[in-house]
Amino acid sequence: MATSEEIVEAYGEWQVRCNANPRLAKMLRGWDRRVHLVTSDSGLTFTIAVSGSVLADIVPGSEGVPDVVVTASSEDFADMFWGDLNPSEKYVSGDIVLAGSSEDVMRLDAMSMVAFLDR
Amino acid sequence: MGLRTATSTSTGLAFAALQYLAAAGLVTYVAGDSAWISIGVAGLLALVAWGFFGELNGMFPTAAAIRRYMSGAMDDRVALSVTFTYLTTIVLVVAADAFIVGAALTRALGVPSGLTALWTAVLLALAVMSNLRGVKVAGWVQDIATALVLAATIVVSVVALARSGHPLVTPLNPLGGHGTNLVESIALGVFLYSAFEWVTTNAEEVRRPEHVHRAMLLAVIILFGACALMTTALGHVLSRGQLLSATPQLYLGSKAFGGAGIWLMAAVTAVTAVNTFNGGFVTASRFMYATAREGSLPPLFSRLNDRAVPWVPVLALGIASFVLAVVVQVVGGAGWQVLVAVGATLEAMIYAVAAFCVLRLRARMPDHHRPFRVRVVMPLAGVGIAVFGTLALVSSVTVANRLNPAPLVVIAVVGAASGWYVVSVVPKLRAAEEARRAARTRRRPSRPAGGTAGPS
Repeated sequence: MATSEEIVEAYGEWQVRCNANPRLAKMLRGWDRRVHLVTSDSGLTFTIAVSGSVLADIVPGSEGVPDVVVTASSEDFADMFWGDLNPSEKYVSGDIVLAGSSEDVMRLDAMSMVAFLDR
Repeated sequence: MGLRTATSTSTGLAFAALQYLAAAGLVTYVAGDSAWISIGVAGLLALVAWGFFGELNGMFPTAAAIRRYMSGAMDDRVALSVTFTYLTTIVLVVAADAFIVGAALTRALGVPSGLTALWTAVLLALAVMSNLRGVKVAGWVQDIATALVLAATIVVSVVALARSGHPLVTPLNPLGGHGTNLVESIALGVFLYSAFEWVTTNAEEVRRPEHVHRAMLLAVIILFGACALMTTALGHVLSRGQLLSATPQLYLGSKAFGGAGIWLMAAVTAVTAVNTFNGGFVTASRFMYATAREGSLPPLFSRLNDRAVPWVPVLALGIASFVLAVVVQVVGGAGWQVLVAVGATLEAMIYAVAAFCVLRLRARMPDHHRPFRVRVVMPLAGVGIAVFGTLALVSSVTVANRLNPAPLVVIAVVGAASGWYVVSVVPKLRAAEEARRAARTRRRPSRPAGGTAGPS
């Protein structure tokens, strides 16, 4: 089980990579969202936000009304933010559960794929 | 997404332009005015399918549900082959709709029929471009489009019936008359409800989980009313030649409102494409993207453009739909009749598969949360498999009320190609993906020895 600190650290890496990627900045244009992350094993919650193509810092707890809710194990969150896990595969297998639109699913997956695989 | 938009999505996806041709074809299979009985029987069967999809959607409320319940119920290779074959239904419906809208515009404008291919190309190009630009039809636009199509179809049907000047002849005798084929007419009737279940791919967007389930039920009821009325009117006022044409809905419009009716129905036919193209392209392209991401399609299919749209699947779908639409036009009348039969077969097949999955998952995942459970599942699923299997078989060898194995051949070829791809190509793709992953260095720092963290 990943700790809150591990998830925050992993997100920090992800945030830097995503914010430094000019292609991702184009992809996230107009996609301003508040996302709640919920760990299914440890009951932790976090809030992240995308505004003006920029990922804000992660905030522990559920803040405000979310546009998207992502539920996964703490290990999967940490692995995903480090780029060691294919979120699409985990989504299809049901290990990552999303409440949001199909566009939200695409953008979240695009962030991982473009930031780490540069496809 | 609320219940209203979920219902309009479910109804709109089912009520494609191909609906008019399938409804007109159905009328030729039974004694004229009795076609509504076949639609009623098909509606009852659609309710059985609704039960199956309701249970499966409740278990897996996700856009990836079809992959989850199929791979849970059967061998993953079989599941993937069936899913790829089913995916062709979407290409088929998009192609057919583009062709039918093109044919309707050609007839309404009174221009040479050769221009149908041009309209088809323009429509598909518009659909591809709007998809590539990430344009998604807003829920309220979808609500209005579906309401307009249904309202216009119902009004035109009622006025055409009222203006016919003679009463219904055989409203309660589906078995009477020469060349009656009740089983095939029911199979076509099932096709009139087809795609109502596609709304399950929106399971993550609805405000309340039960909305998808209720929306599908409401859609089946609405479709029964609209289609029963339309087929009664079609059977009552059109000749056999008009029924078997590519634009029976325009003839119906003409019977109701003269020249204005032709334009009205041409416009309505065009509006149906809003839902079909929007739903079809988005559903199929996102599925192909996810399949590529899990390593079952070449990585090329997971390439995104600057609007986070998987552009290769969208382009491939547009091209495949155009080629199919042109083939249909070149082949002529029999072409779209084969298309309708292929669609009816695939839809009945997927309903039988859904029944099988419900049954199998009850045994394999007995403790899985099921917000909606099919009652008396054993006999119902057994009946579902038998009935939908029979309907699939019958419609695969019948075209325009004649024995014709063309649909069966088309499905066998697509199925064989899917099977070959899954058995021969997918393992290589997955091995290559595994090799790529193995070559990547793990980025996440390892935990210090003995420092396994617990919950914070």
